[in-house]
Amino acid sequence: MQPLLHIKNLSKSFGNESILTNVNLHLKHNEVLSVIGTSGSGKTTLLKIIAGLEQQTTGELWLNENEISNQPAQNRNIVYLYQEALLFPHLNVFENIAFGLRLKKQPSIDIKTKVEKMLTYLELEKHKNKMPHQLSGGQKQRVSFGRAMVVEPKILLLDEPFGALDSHTRTKMQVLFKGLVGKLNISALFVTHDIKEAIIMGNTIGKIEKGNWQQYQNKQAFYDDETSGVKNEIAFWKDIIT
Amino acid sequence: MFKKVLQYLFISSIGFPLVFLLLLSLSRSWQFPAIWPQQLSFANWEFLQKSNAQLFQTFFLSLGISLLVAVTVTVLAFFISKEIAYSKRKSTYLFLTYIPYLLSPVIMAVIFQYYFILTHLSGTFLGVALAQFLIAFPYGVLIYINFWNKQINELEALSYTLGANKWQTLKKVLLPLSKNALILCFFQVFLISWFEYGLTNLIGTGKIKTLTVSVFNFINEANIFYAALACCLLVVPPMILLYINKRYIFIKR
Repeated sequence: MQPLLHIKNLSKSFGNESILTNVNLHLKHNEVLSVIGTSGSGKTTLLKIIAGLEQQTTGELWLNENEISNQPAQNRNIVYLYQEALLFPHLNVFENIAFGLRLKKQPSIDIKTKVEKMLTYLELEKHKNKMPHQLSGGQKQRVSFGRAMVVEPKILLLDEPFGALDSHTRTKMQVLFKGLVGKLNISALFVTHDIKEAIIMGNTIGKIEKGNWQQYQNKQAFYDDETSGVKNEIAFWKDIIT
Repeated sequence: MFKKVLQYLFISSIGFPLVFLLLLSLSRSWQFPAIWPQQLSFANWEFLQKSNAQLFQTFFLSLGISLLVAVTVTVLAFFISKEIAYSKRKSTYLFLTYIPYLLSPVIMAVIFQYYFILTHLSGTFLGVALAQFLIAFPYGVLIYINFWNKQINELEALSYTLGANKWQTLKKVLLPLSKNALILCFFQVFLISWFEYGLTNLIGTGKIKTLTVSVFNFINEANIFYAALACCLLVVPPMILLYINKRYIFIKR
């Protein structure tokens, strides 16, 4: 089956500095690919290239059967979410979620129906008239998801979306996100530096290190790779228990 | 109690000069040691409109120049400051932005004047507006420069990935977020232009008389009553701007 996203031999340099080297990546329909990498490994640059916010130096980007390298970000239908929720501070919760739908000039009644359905999914019905500064970190992040998912993007790019949340809220958000992915048939690239989160969130896993990309066949392959860090993590917890 | 006294002192410090100017503009004769003017009438106001000075026409000419300069700087500096803020040479451009302020506007006018004469802009409405624009534009850039931060850049990028084109991003994201900076820039540049004297006098070559230039002319003629009258008109737009600022911007914050 044709992958939804197929990246071929993609490289990116800033001047003489090489950020990504010969990346080959594929993402299937309705699949979440966890991307693991340390700070400065090139994962944000990779997401920005896919979103159309940066241009690759060489290589091809295929979305379904279309080469999208020259398509502007607004025509790709790929939404990029930052670590921070980045809600529009001048819009309330309802209008933040409705933002993408209003751009498409959909009828008001359709917008209302879709946004209210999304508010129900996100358990934010009571907060729809609040302004962003009146929300907690977790609530902001939920609105941010809603705003992205309501436009039914072909791919959702999540750049460490739970990185700024406390561990309790983070766990709740992981459960919520997993649920939404199932309900809405979302395809996503989920960037994290947390191994456990990568395993929980992704159907498949890839690792980026100093601009070099490695995509694992399955979670077993990820576990078996000595450099993935999984075995070190397990050994750490075993040592504590014994 | 102390706070109240301070408040009254503050209000008096602003209110007294205004009342005094109004009183002076209505006076025909006020000689030492009289505490109040010997004669109060609207004669100054009527005379000035009938005379060659035509103060009300001067008022609208000044208003036209200041509005043109303020609108142009507010719009152009918004876009240029964005390019500067995200440029790799930001610090170099910012250094250049400060140069007009190292020299006074009059010195800048002397530098400009040769080129303005060559291009026949000297002594014209457009010439004065252009000269004031050149002085005020870097100031506009400095007002906006901190608005273009990382968060605004990310919000703009997010808007694109949500499907907005450049015009939609400008209209629905950047303009609403920059509202305060836009208003601040407009007000500040308007005031710079409105009270500009040296540069306007030099480039205007006496043919373009703004209200500020007229005030100085009356003072040079030792005509304090007419000067006060011109000052009364001079403070009207800044007072209106101050009221709008207080009523619609600070309250909303």
